Amino acid sequence: MISILNPSMSRMHRAFSGLVMTTGFLAASVLVAPAHAEVPYFEDAVASGSLPAMNDRLPEHPHVIDFAGEGKEIGKYGGEFVTIMGRSKDIRMAVVYGYARLIGYDQDLNLRPDILEALDVNEEGNVFTLHIRKGHKWSDGEPFTAEDFRYYWEDIVNNDELFPVGPPRFLFVGNEPATFEILDEYTVRYSWSQPNPFFLTELAATRPPFIYRPAHYLKQFHENYRDADELQAMVEERGLRSWAVLHTDIDRPYKLSNIHRPSLEPWLITTEEPSDRFVFVRNPYYHRVDPEGNQLPYIDRMIFNISNAKLVPAKVGAGEVDLQSRILSLKDYTFLKQSEANQNYDVRLWDVGAGAYAALYPNLTCSDPVWREVLRDVRFRRALSLAINRTEINRVMFFGLAQPTNNTVLPKSPLFKPEYRESYTDFDVKAANQLLDAMGLDERNGEGIRLLPDGRQMEIIVETSGENPEHDDMLELVGDSWRQVGIKLFVKGLQREVMRNRAYTGETIMSIFNGIDNGLATPNTAPDEFVPVLQDSLQWPKWGQYYQTDSEAGEAPDMPAAKELMEQYRKWQTSNEAGQKQAWQAILDINSENMFSIGLIGNVPQPVVIDKDMRNVPKKGIHSWEPGAFFGIYRPDTFWWDR
Amino acid sequence: MLTYLARRLFVMIPTLFMISVLVFVIIQLPPGDFLTTYLNELQAQGEAVDPAKIEFLKRQYGLDQPIYIQYAEWAWGLLQGDLGFSFEYNLPVSDVVGDRLWLSLVLNFSTVIFIYIVSFPIGIYSATRQYSWGDYGFTLLGFLGLAMPNFLFALILLYYANVVFGTSIGGLMDPEYINQGWSLAKMMSVVEHLWAPVVVIGTSGTAAMIRRLRANLLDELGKQYVVTAHAKGLSPTKVLFKYPLRMALNPFIADIGNILPQVVSGSVLVSVVMSLPTTGPMLLTALQSQDMYLAGSFLMFLALLTVVGMFVSDVLLAWLDPRIRLQGGVGN
Repeated sequence: MISILNPSMSRMHRAFSGLVMTTGFLAASVLVAPAHAEVPYFEDAVASGSLPAMNDRLPEHPHVIDFAGEGKEIGKYGGEFVTIMGRSKDIRMAVVYGYARLIGYDQDLNLRPDILEALDVNEEGNVFTLHIRKGHKWSDGEPFTAEDFRYYWEDIVNNDELFPVGPPRFLFVGNEPATFEILDEYTVRYSWSQPNPFFLTELAATRPPFIYRPAHYLKQFHENYRDADELQAMVEERGLRSWAVLHTDIDRPYKLSNIHRPSLEPWLITTEEPSDRFVFVRNPYYHRVDPEGNQLPYIDRMIFNISNAKLVPAKVGAGEVDLQSRILSLKDYTFLKQSEANQNYDVRLWDVGAGAYAALYPNLTCSDPVWREVLRDVRFRRALSLAINRTEINRVMFFGLAQPTNNTVLPKSPLFKPEYRESYTDFDVKAANQLLDAMGLDERNGEGIRLLPDGRQMEIIVETSGENPEHDDMLELVGDSWRQVGIKLFVKGLQREVMRNRAYTGETIMSIFNGIDNGLATPNTAPDEFVPVLQDSLQWPKWGQYYQTDSEAGEAPDMPAAKELMEQYRKWQTSNEAGQKQAWQAILDINSENMFSIGLIGNVPQPVVIDKDMRNVPKKGIHSWEPGAFFGIYRPDTFWWDR
Repeated sequence: MLTYLARRLFVMIPTLFMISVLVFVIIQLPPGDFLTTYLNELQAQGEAVDPAKIEFLKRQYGLDQPIYIQYAEWAWGLLQGDLGFSFEYNLPVSDVVGDRLWLSLVLNFSTVIFIYIVSFPIGIYSATRQYSWGDYGFTLLGFLGLAMPNFLFALILLYYANVVFGTSIGGLMDPEYINQGWSLAKMMSVVEHLWAPVVVIGTSGTAAMIRRLRANLLDELGKQYVVTAHAKGLSPTKVLFKYPLRMALNPFIADIGNILPQVVSGSVLVSVVMSLPTTGPMLLTALQSQDMYLAGSFLMFLALLTVVGMFVSDVLLAWLDPRIRLQGGVGN
């Protein structure tokens, strides 16, 4: 159909050919699909006429999951599954596990249309045509159409009161916003004059941008569609200040704070915050079916119990959950395995996609001028890394099953080089001391602690998100060995939001957090975790802020290496595949050379606990946030109870 | 007696006022507030910047105003029963708190009652049979409760409650009752879960109580009037309960005011460890995320509880011991 003229578009092509294949497969299966039995959960509602029959609820061409290709078996309806989250904010994991996306990754990490019936990309990669499934409906039964995309584009992100900064960055190429067109009721198009390499991966992201919103529902809260007095009355009734606040409050597709908001996800939230137990029930209008035409999900209800993270292993061991990976870590493995004998569950060890399990992030944009100067000296960061005994961490904490590593891509990635993983990871106190002395930090106090140039003791406060006790344990070990080079380490436990916010404002000197997420990067994955473009990157939050806010906030990167990274990032965005690989390699080289983040340990397997009667959960999977959405790409809507 | 009560009640007002000032100042102490960090975060996410909302919040709480005006608004709201607005939950604090206050009260009062029920008989027994095996045994038990870290004890109890009784781990009820209305089954579930935290928090308080009662009683037992009573042929039980025990009770009751804040603060930690749906864990997260009005309301609630506890113990003491009543009423 389309000849690929530009080799850089191979990712588009891959996505595109996937689309063609799926649509073809879909057409064939629709022809043979018989009339289906009703979902038992809805039988009463359908019989009483309050809900249409299954065939009328499904889109004309539902998304048929390729069970053969994914090694799944046809299941039975019913039941519920329980999993535990650490805090009530984690209800957003429902969006992650549900993983209904316009296009999404399959188990082999290829992009496939999901909510969309098809998605066409032209050969330059700058025109994206989205085909909506005819007859697809929101969870309240209202049609899902091009209007929902228009509403997002015109009435939300391009409304000055709702979104003063305008559409999110992935809808821009350079400074050019997308051109949005409605071709017909079921077709919309986004185009730019230049290729947009972010568009597809962003739509498939674990935290998706939701470029479609339930227009029919939200219009009642929007000033363009509602009588001003009525709207004002609603705003005042809720004690709010303006309609924009009301609209934002009502429309939180990821945070799920509004249980009345229509959705396209497999399970719908029915419990409001605050609570310690959140119940999600099946969406009657969900668009996926199994090869026999049975509407998914199989399981009626998904339940999130909220519990203190420290109790979670005990609760899992007591058989209180059906599916759990969150909060569990390798150190719980022996206990879980031991309880396996009395409980009806399997403990499986899944690979992780993260480049490192934990890493230290010196904040290069911290406000303290003295520390900033010190942290920015590459010798200092190298010395810190050399003064960490990673082998000890591995043996003490992970039974030697993990691997000492830097914070970088995994060997499975085509971009991998051994030196990325190994440089400056040997435990060498002498070399570290020499580096620090060479920096002129050779004055010490009576305790043998080095002094900063302004005479303060060299005490590094490492801030943690307070979620992972292993981080504290690692810091304990790191602190011991840093003491040998004359540096004192203090740990400060915070809450994730507070820790982030402190880093954003420059109050943090150093923090510990998970390593890079996408260790399986390929040349066409965006190298965002290695260049200063994200405020979330704790080694340079202000530079990231600068990029993300279009230079309205934060600071411009002012280290030569950082400027070089940005240069390579620009190259990556505009190059063909070979050029992308080159840029990626340069970015990784610079990172490896500069030790912008200090990786501690990697390849720590993730225990996944699954009830023995639960089917269609893979034996071996990759447990990763991006790409993968944890269980998301294994499609929890196809899991079922064999009992 | 009435004047005494009135005086005591009146004193509570300036006390609570001082506490509210302190609470407010302490909450404001950390640099930055929820809004500034919130604003930073929103700005950088680039997706949800909503200055209107910040403006709304800023004006609603007068965060742009001097601190004494902020305090006045907060305190005025408190007086009218308006607990303020939780930034984190985006809801009025009263909606966030919900059942938690009641469950906290249930937990704390059960614990106090547990402490009394356990320590009272043991205290009497230990005093009357000083240096006996029973005395040593109970004392050891009491000290074990005091010495064992609460969280460790909590985890052990939870584990065995699960193994032996099949009680779900953590929480104050089986998960399926959360969000349901109150029913008999739900209350039974609460009772089933309640004993573990009560024992954990309670045991750390019993040792002190036992020792105090034992010491006081021992003091009285050797006094002349007791010897006289015995010599006159009164039955030992009657002697004990009629005279020395009454005297020894004085500090026991005076402790109510101390035991309440102890129990309340002890229960915060245990509630966090055991995932109890009480105010404790929420207070902790509110403090961590600088959700100041939520934290402030909780702290004021705890303060109120303490002040009321003090009042109750004062009243009981006055009723029990005329000396206190008379001094309170007549002297100064």
